Amino acid sequence: MRVRLLIAGGALAVALAFVGWRIGSRYSSDTFSETKAITPEAMPLCPWRQPEVDLKVFFPDATGYRAETRILSGLRLELAERLGRTPTGDENALRLYRVYREDAPIGTVLTRRAKGTYGAIELVLATDTNRTVRAMRLQRLREPESIAGVLQDARWQNSFIGKTWQDVCQVGRDITSVPPEAMNSAQAVSDGIRSLLILLSTSEQTPSPRLADAHHH
Amino acid sequence: MLLLALRNSLRRPLRNGLTIGGLAIAVAVLVCLSSFGNGYRRALNAEIDRMGVQLLLVPLGCPYDAAARVLKGKALDVSLPESALVQARQDPAVAVAAPLFLAAFARTESGRADMWAGLDETALELKPWWQTKAGTNWFTGTDSAILGVDAAEVEMRSPGDSLYSPETGFHFRVAGVLQRSGTSDDSLFFVPLKTAQQMFKMPGRLTAVAVRLRDPSLLRAAVERLQRIPGAQVVTMTEMMGTFLNLVGAVRTLLLSIALVAIAISVLSVFNTLLAAVLERTSELSTMRAIGASRFQILGLITTEAFVLTLIGSVCGILLAIVAGRVIESFVRGLVPLAPSESLLAPSAGILLVAAGIGTLTGVLGGLYPAWRASRLHPATVLKPE
Repeated sequence: MRVRLLIAGGALAVALAFVGWRIGSRYSSDTFSETKAITPEAMPLCPWRQPEVDLKVFFPDATGYRAETRILSGLRLELAERLGRTPTGDENALRLYRVYREDAPIGTVLTRRAKGTYGAIELVLATDTNRTVRAMRLQRLREPESIAGVLQDARWQNSFIGKTWQDVCQVGRDITSVPPEAMNSAQAVSDGIRSLLILLSTSEQTPSPRLADAHHH
Repeated sequence: MLLLALRNSLRRPLRNGLTIGGLAIAVAVLVCLSSFGNGYRRALNAEIDRMGVQLLLVPLGCPYDAAARVLKGKALDVSLPESALVQARQDPAVAVAAPLFLAAFARTESGRADMWAGLDETALELKPWWQTKAGTNWFTGTDSAILGVDAAEVEMRSPGDSLYSPETGFHFRVAGVLQRSGTSDDSLFFVPLKTAQQMFKMPGRLTAVAVRLRDPSLLRAAVERLQRIPGAQVVTMTEMMGTFLNLVGAVRTLLLSIALVAIAISVLSVFNTLLAAVLERTSELSTMRAIGASRFQILGLITTEAFVLTLIGSVCGILLAIVAGRVIESFVRGLVPLAPSESLLAPSAGILLVAAGIGTLTGVLGGLYPAWRASRLHPATVLKPE
């Protein structure tokens, strides 16, 4: 009996070693240890770079957050309908950070890259539990000062507050207008925010597989 | 006897498990270190061969540090005068002398740096992998840029898009995006040499000159001549490789000695485990002797137990090395000079067999004394009152 147990244990060890090797191969260049052992994806191109700083601004009473990855590949039809376009490959999954006060969820933080005129713009979006915009911040951009200043202006950023996925985010109509040279980048940010809201609402209104959890306090 | 030895090995699972674990770790370290030496040499050879460069002209200072930084696409604090390029090109042994200007801007908000590389058209002759996946494969003007595939992906740029350098105020039009090369080029922004020099306010200065000779046998004479260029020093790829391998070899020797100490400790652990087992089983072993087992059979039984323990430990060690090797590699990669982009671990069948052999053999040696002691037990011992 024990010999059989030994053989079974050996076989299990070999299987675990193989699985470990595969996971190791897949994440050899990944430096985001939070989810590497669990999720089948690489590190997100747009990580949340300053969670502590952002949490203090977006959710001053937060006590922690939890990272989740939602797989949306089964919801492509709903997504296409809401987005008004075919979802991109990046939109097959949504990385979100659920924010908690003690054990109660008080909101969500999402990140996304938008294609600015002169380079990628990374935005951080905070929503309430009812998925309306609470605040936003640009965590990285390489636009010239004339455009960067407009996009980082508090008045312009605050015009997103209260928006939901159903709101149209046309810059100059639904969102505070910007000078012509900043229009493309501003609209890219606006489209990015709306896409995030749609991904979030679709993922929460329709049960979808949740891949990875990681607590941060 | 093997079955009996296996069953006996399972009688003290915790003690035997710890012994196996200790040996497994020692064998794993041995496998990783041996594989690392092979892999590093192979990957370094491949990377340097692919460059097609025999030597580099770098600014005065530590030549190996300078050459390593240039080869890995990192900026230098010092620079070469452009006259070094002119003189290098005049040397009769030089087939191609390609200037390189590298500079970086730290982007603290994203935890990375923008790496800008200034090139002229001779670079194409030294970069056989310079193929674009989109757009043109050379600059279309002084304000055009070609992006490495990772740089383009991070900045979401395609040919025709604009690109801005916030620190210098320079605007660019993306002319092309390179195919993935597996080298540091993948994360660079390439711009014309003159533009890069203007961006960083260093006109007439270079980071390095990469040189390919007409005939590699002319290396010695060429080095002697190029060494005379003011402000420059020559580093040959052979020297670079030798220096790196020596550095790595010294560290590897030290670590191998640690692995051997770990194996020696494992031998003592096997010794201790089996001796304890023999003492616990004095009565049982004496009974076996009393019912006809020979001294040789008892010796064989305990030695087989040692063999089984160490064989399991060695196999577990090899599996551990395969799994943990990637983690160790990612750690080592940050420490070694000029870490090639290819895998640094190259575990061959020979390395695995030797490691398993060393683990098993030394373990069996550790079991010899307990086995001898067990074989010396007298059958009458079992009849003694407790």
